[in-house]
Amino acid sequence: MSKLLEVKNLKKGEILRGISFDLHEGEMVAIMGPSGSGKSTLLYNVSGMDRSDEGEVFLSGTEIRALREDEIAGIRLHRMGFVFQQMNCLSNLDLIDNIVFPAIHADRKNKDMYYARAKELMAKFHIEDIAERKINEVSGGQLQRACICRSMIMKPDIIFADEPTGALNQSSSSEVMDAFLRINSEGTAILMVTHDSKVASKCGRILYILDGEIKGELKLGQFDETHEKEREQCVTRWLTDLGW
Amino acid sequence: MYRRLILNDCKNNKFTTIATCIFMTLNAALLGLCILLFVSLSGSIDKLMEVAKTPDFLQMHTGDLDEDDIAGFAKGRNDVESMQICKFLNIPNSQILIGDKTFDGNMQDNGVCYQSESFDYLVDMDNNVIYPVADQVYVPVCYKKEYDIAQGELMRIGSETLSIAGFIRDSQMNSMMASSKRFLVSNEYYDKLSSIGSEEYLIEFKLKKGSDIGAFTTAYEDALLPGNGPTITYPLIRMMNALSDGMMIMVILLISGAMLFISTLCIRCLILTGLEKDKLEIGMMKAVGVSGRDIRKMYISKYLILSATGTVLGFLIALFAAGPLSAQMKALYGDAVNHGLIYILMIAGEVLDEAMILLSINRTLKGIDKAPTVAVLNGIGSFGKKKNLWLPAGIITAVSVFMMLVPLNLSSTLKAPEFVTYMGIGSGQIRIDVRQTEDVSGISENLGKELSKDQSVSDFVLMRTGSYKVKMPDSQTYNLLIENGDHSKFPVKYSKGSFPKSDREIALSILNARELGLDIGDSIDVCLKSPDGSSVEKTCMISGIYSDITNGGKTAKASFDPEMDITPVMWSIVYVTLNDESLVQDWTEKFRNAHGSVKESMKVTSIKEYLDGVYGQTISNIGNASVVTSAFVMIVLFVVILLLLRLLIWRERSDSSLKKALGFTSRDVQNEYLKNVFLVSAIGIVVGILAGVFPGQLLAGIFLSSLGAQGFRFIINPVQVFVLVPVISLFTVLAAAWAGLIEIRSIRAFECLR
Repeated sequence: MSKLLEVKNLKKGEILRGISFDLHEGEMVAIMGPSGSGKSTLLYNVSGMDRSDEGEVFLSGTEIRALREDEIAGIRLHRMGFVFQQMNCLSNLDLIDNIVFPAIHADRKNKDMYYARAKELMAKFHIEDIAERKINEVSGGQLQRACICRSMIMKPDIIFADEPTGALNQSSSSEVMDAFLRINSEGTAILMVTHDSKVASKCGRILYILDGEIKGELKLGQFDETHEKEREQCVTRWLTDLGW
Repeated sequence: MYRRLILNDCKNNKFTTIATCIFMTLNAALLGLCILLFVSLSGSIDKLMEVAKTPDFLQMHTGDLDEDDIAGFAKGRNDVESMQICKFLNIPNSQILIGDKTFDGNMQDNGVCYQSESFDYLVDMDNNVIYPVADQVYVPVCYKKEYDIAQGELMRIGSETLSIAGFIRDSQMNSMMASSKRFLVSNEYYDKLSSIGSEEYLIEFKLKKGSDIGAFTTAYEDALLPGNGPTITYPLIRMMNALSDGMMIMVILLISGAMLFISTLCIRCLILTGLEKDKLEIGMMKAVGVSGRDIRKMYISKYLILSATGTVLGFLIALFAAGPLSAQMKALYGDAVNHGLIYILMIAGEVLDEAMILLSINRTLKGIDKAPTVAVLNGIGSFGKKKNLWLPAGIITAVSVFMMLVPLNLSSTLKAPEFVTYMGIGSGQIRIDVRQTEDVSGISENLGKELSKDQSVSDFVLMRTGSYKVKMPDSQTYNLLIENGDHSKFPVKYSKGSFPKSDREIALSILNARELGLDIGDSIDVCLKSPDGSSVEKTCMISGIYSDITNGGKTAKASFDPEMDITPVMWSIVYVTLNDESLVQDWTEKFRNAHGSVKESMKVTSIKEYLDGVYGQTISNIGNASVVTSAFVMIVLFVVILLLLRLLIWRERSDSSLKKALGFTSRDVQNEYLKNVFLVSAIGIVVGILAGVFPGQLLAGIFLSSLGAQGFRFIINPVQVFVLVPVISLFTVLAAAWAGLIEIRSIRAFECLR
């Protein structure tokens, strides 16, 4: 697999102190670490939402730090997808409109196509029946799955997820992770911040950050349901060794 | 989808949407109203003056006159288009009766005339030149409402009975500020009535387009043609016509300007509150790649819709409100204006006004571009600088108090008895005019003797006006109307210097001083007539300059001894004050009845009546404007303070939540806000009062200088200024604060922990 994302010596104040890593096409990587270790800051800087003080971030060979604000916004719109812990949605739109919102903003001419795609995505994640509902009329799990649909609407190369299960209960959390695994299996790369070892164990690789530096890396390989328990135990042991 | 987004946003934020729309509507309505009234007024006056062919120069004259002399003068000048001499039969007010309504207390010099020959026409309500027949009379339209006169009623002038055939617009004398009013009768009836009144002449000139009226006036005076009476020119007539409604338009314009300032500030607050609430959504949009500019466009489209709605509603409100406000104007000057043009101008003005608001909105929304994505996504960023909101709250309170005080002070000033002193009129309680008699001197001398014996009179002064020739330092000569008497009593306000203290001094009205190019310290030679009939030149120094609106504003004051100067007295005025002011009405009545024999030549009026007659309309217009302004300002102040507090509470929500978590009650948090509101509004009120009294005086001075009142000072009503307005303002602010602070109760202690 070729490199999709290449991060070199990224620094941001005292939070990120020279972080370097790569992410390949179709890969699913988790970033773990205690609160305040710089996980979310890393995600924001890698996705171009925030600008680091030093270092380089290449997306398919393009150094995004060198781009203008509107160019970075364009890349986020067309090539990246985002899922947040707080399930941020527009309260004045119903679920399906929220999903197609970025797509229609990017390409108003193909509105019908995007609505059709949104319906497909919703069906895939079992929320097609609540398409017309307001965002305050659905459960957290349903809303987060709608957010995953939104992140997928432009068929991005990579999805950035910041604690996507952090605000969900156990069953909703597992529904959401199933959705991510499905997306990933279809070829979309995922970079996910989490401090849930169960969630992280479903990723192919885990990076451990402490005080703004990568202190460890665990390669688990493609997720396989039959070895779920072993993967979880492996992650727990690794984290204990790192002093988690 | 965008449409749905905007519509749902409006639906879910009804309060802010409606408030924004109201501000936009009010702005559009006020400006639209100003434009509508202004264009209608100036257009209608111009149209009336065009239809009526108002003279460019008019000399009133009492006494003999040689028509050939005047015709010769006109022929010799190439700037004269036409010339005519009209007759005006001055009828004593006691001789006029319409139905059962007597004109006895009327302040105007009423009289009859017949239709002019070639210009200065009196026109009917359709602006047609009319010619009464037989016993028909047309009544000045300004009396229609005042005396509740209907067509077909009977009018008695002396022993003659006439039938009211309709109403007339008089382009010259329509305004209540013009001191004469003309009733139109047929030529035959004019002759019949001539024995009842005394005749005056109106020597009128219509000049060719582009002629210099000033130069013509000088030439007329130089030619020593008849000039025993005031001189009036086209611009002065136009100004008098425009003034009373013009003042009202000025007040609305003032409110409109302040409203634009307040609206932009409030809308900014509303937007910032909205953005604070939408922070997470904006953060999300930025995160998924919608640029700040595109997000701004979404917001702008919402405000464009609100602005368009505001413009349309404002336009309709302006049309609706213009009806009652322009009723008087329409009656006086007609409604001959191109409505299409007015509507276009109104819409253009409103669009410009809204564009200014939208520009300010766009500036506020630029905060979205600047706000860091990550910060707003996490709910910690802010749009624009977190400015201190207490400052705008204080400013708006001050502006509101200012807006209430200026029209109130203007109104109380115009109502105050001493206001007349700014107009060139003595500040007595009663004024007795002696005119239109061969023996002005004799009657006034007798009056003087009688008044000095009257126990109820505390003081009086006799002023005699005559026409004098004066020689300027460059030997040019002019005719000057000089009022002689003891000017230390009931003095008028002098904008420079003071009253003449000896017969070697003279004071000039502002218009005269300006026209003759004289200032304090300059000297002129006045030709007096000594008892032996010879002419004596007396050099007088200019001792003072005062503002005057009487007699065309061109007057002078001196104190020549009547024993040494027997220049004929054209009219005299006696100013009287009584020991007991409450007796003015009774004394005036008694005095009128006691002098039945000379009733025709004597007019006794209380200064209050005089003011009501001359400025009644203006005072009532400004009074109405000040009541409407006060109510309006209070509503605006209430809404603005409420909005500011909501924004403030929203911004400080997490702090308030923390305070609650630490054990503060809702009441404790509310009290902290309330203390600040009280302090800020108190400071705002003090600043507003100071501004309303001092800079407000300057502003009102500009209006009043157009009335002829120079060096004007507010005559304030202390109860209104220092008690009523502050209490009402404070009450409004605290009521708004109370309504706004209810929100504090909804803040939960755990919110800050999220």
